[in-house]
Amino acid sequence: MTRKSFPSHATGGELRDLEQPGYYGGFSTVSQKKSWEQATRNVVTDRIEKVPPIRFFSQDDAALLGAVIDRVMPQDDRSVERMIPILPVLDERLFKNSISGFRYEDMPSDQEAYQLGLKAIEEMARERFREPFVNLTVHRQELILKSIHDGQPDPANAVWEKMPIHRFWAMLMEDCVTAYYSHPWAWDEIGFGGPAYPRGYMRLENGLPEPWEKDEQRYEWNAPVDSLSQLEEQDAPPEHQSLHGHGGSH
Amino acid sequence: MPHRLGPMQILPSPMKKFAADECVDYCIVGVGSAGGVLIQRLARAGLRVVGLEAGPFWDTEKDWVSDEKGSHELYWNDLRITGGTHPLALGANNSGKGVGGGSVHWAAFAPRFHPSDFRVYTEDGVGADWPISYWDLKPYYELLEREIPVAGPAWFPWGDPHGHPYGPHPLGGVGDVLVRGCTKLGIRSVAGGPVAILSASHGDRPHCIYRGFCLQGCKVGAKASTLITHVPDAITHGAEIRAHSMASRISLREDGRVDGVVYFDREGKEHFQRARAVIVSGYAIETPRLLLNSACPGHRHGLANSSGTLGKYLMAQAGNVVAGRFEELIRLYKAPPAHALSEEFYETDPRRGFARGFAVQTVGPLPVAFAKQMTAAMGAWGWGMRRVMMDYNHWATLGVLGEILPWEDNRVELADEKDQHGLPVAKVTFNLHDNDKKLIEFGKNKVMEIMWAAGAKQVVQESRFAHLVGAVRMGSDPSMSVVDKFGRTHDIPNLFVCDGSILPTQGSANPGLTIQALAARTADYLIQQGDATFFSNRRDLTEPGIRYDLSPPYTRFKGNPRIA
Repeated sequence: MTRKSFPSHATGGELRDLEQPGYYGGFSTVSQKKSWEQATRNVVTDRIEKVPPIRFFSQDDAALLGAVIDRVMPQDDRSVERMIPILPVLDERLFKNSISGFRYEDMPSDQEAYQLGLKAIEEMARERFREPFVNLTVHRQELILKSIHDGQPDPANAVWEKMPIHRFWAMLMEDCVTAYYSHPWAWDEIGFGGPAYPRGYMRLENGLPEPWEKDEQRYEWNAPVDSLSQLEEQDAPPEHQSLHGHGGSH
Repeated sequence: MPHRLGPMQILPSPMKKFAADECVDYCIVGVGSAGGVLIQRLARAGLRVVGLEAGPFWDTEKDWVSDEKGSHELYWNDLRITGGTHPLALGANNSGKGVGGGSVHWAAFAPRFHPSDFRVYTEDGVGADWPISYWDLKPYYELLEREIPVAGPAWFPWGDPHGHPYGPHPLGGVGDVLVRGCTKLGIRSVAGGPVAILSASHGDRPHCIYRGFCLQGCKVGAKASTLITHVPDAITHGAEIRAHSMASRISLREDGRVDGVVYFDREGKEHFQRARAVIVSGYAIETPRLLLNSACPGHRHGLANSSGTLGKYLMAQAGNVVAGRFEELIRLYKAPPAHALSEEFYETDPRRGFARGFAVQTVGPLPVAFAKQMTAAMGAWGWGMRRVMMDYNHWATLGVLGEILPWEDNRVELADEKDQHGLPVAKVTFNLHDNDKKLIEFGKNKVMEIMWAAGAKQVVQESRFAHLVGAVRMGSDPSMSVVDKFGRTHDIPNLFVCDGSILPTQGSANPGLTIQALAARTADYLIQQGDATFFSNRRDLTEPGIRYDLSPPYTRFKGNPRIA
């Protein structure tokens, strides 16, 4: 189902079919679940074990959005059984019409925005490369998505004249990172301690690990060499106006 | 299983139930930061009070989780429309739903406003003056600091310098970055508070365990919310809190006084709660929305809106997040997000070319929130997102908290869309003005400078907004404001508003403590007025005098360190 992009090279070999990417080898938040309280244990365990079915998107749209998500939040380095479900989580949100408490006045509803966005992406693929988006090479898929990311859709599409392209992109990213980084396997990848009640933390300073956490074991990590979604490291973009839900700060 | 509020506290039971047709003294709409304090005071004074809360009555052990995504239900997720040149994100950013309201998911920074905040127009010729001074509110600041209570440094040097009843918290990695960067630049900072988070246990509430999930609802019971600080005492003293009760309209009698509140229960069934007086405590969006939705003959443009200012002068604070990547590990998820700050730039400095100022504060986004910030701050996506997140533990985040002035065009109105009850939803419009833009630019650059000074290898920032106040402003001139200095509407003698919406200006302090201090003061006033509120149209504006005998348990024998 998932089209893999080219392997990534790193010190010590290729990053592919990994059970656990990242710099915290052997760290497992779920291994600590006995020290979490019941309500949290249920929520986090369900996230691994109960992947919701696709109910909102049609089969075609689900395939298309799946291909988009594979580029927007790529997991080619992960082994298939350790892929984090993103599409089902997004589909469930739209199926339940669960929103974040607001809609921008220049945006349609979240449900409609996804339908429109997918329509535009498919039309852009067919116009530019004369093929459905799902059949394109990884590079060509990235070309289309990068142009949306940059706010300069290539080719232009009527949908983006009605719907602000940057707001659609922000919503897509927000949904993808919410699904990915709320999953305990992603916590293991980035070295986040996860739930810590009732035990709590005792080493607050100097980035020190708890006895049950792992210290970082850094190595040279490289994204696929010609991927367009790599960070342009040293120069942060001018001013991306903030568009997401803003939760979680102050 | 008993209804739990944290691991040690149990909700008093049984709760008083008023009969369906019974007329109560006060019906309070919204049991959040202000509503929780009000209902507790009024119940203690022996008044018959019902609180209507649109959201659930949380059982913290069952309903709350140590998980970002799993905490979605804490927020006001119903539809609102947001627009203007700088549309505000709502929901999780600033709006709670459920008993405790926003105090359930606030970060719990609890600084006081400065004396200058109450005289912004007089001192700077912008914004508005408050109808009260800092010194009117000071005894209530001190009292609430003991009640909720506030932990912090022994010496808080800005505004009216003061100490705190509970000692400061240990420093986390992000706080260390703030202190380090500020020190390098000769900027004063404090750490370990002021926060409404326990550094030692307090009655039936344990101390903080530094797990970092403050914004997801504190299961520990260490962070103050009115759900655990004031609501239990309200119920002990005979108040009734009706959860899942969405107020739709305040009912006006022919004599120009209100006589109760129409609301929908969980099943969508309509009820009418009769009351001798009504207090709206729904915060800066739902309060004006309810008053606008209550328009009726004689009040065509919304209840108590003869001034035409209802819904106007809405404010949010600039809340730019500055993120810095360090060589060394920070692990920003440990310790409360709120734990160190500087108010060195709070006051107007004419050399900066704009009025008023900003604070610098720690923030502590957990992985999902941080990834969203990187979408905005770095344009991260795809492999770039994966890479930046693999460095999550190397980043520290500081926030600007900047004062945006009250402008008439920043407002809450009714939209064409309707909610599940058929009530028009709120439409929020927000525009930045020249002074705001200059202030944000300066504040953002200053915090980036602090981040570099702390030793960051890379610094990025995201523009955003925090908190909501205003839209039902208080003032002494009935043609320029909706309520008087005690929260009584100028137009209707037995209709009050008590929440963040009455603030005329907002300073660069988090509004929670000020909202609660104002609620305690309004409660003292209502209690002192007695039955006059219910029968008389006379407006008595004499100060009530503070009551020290109405506090929740465990407040006595605590003190505010005084600094000579």
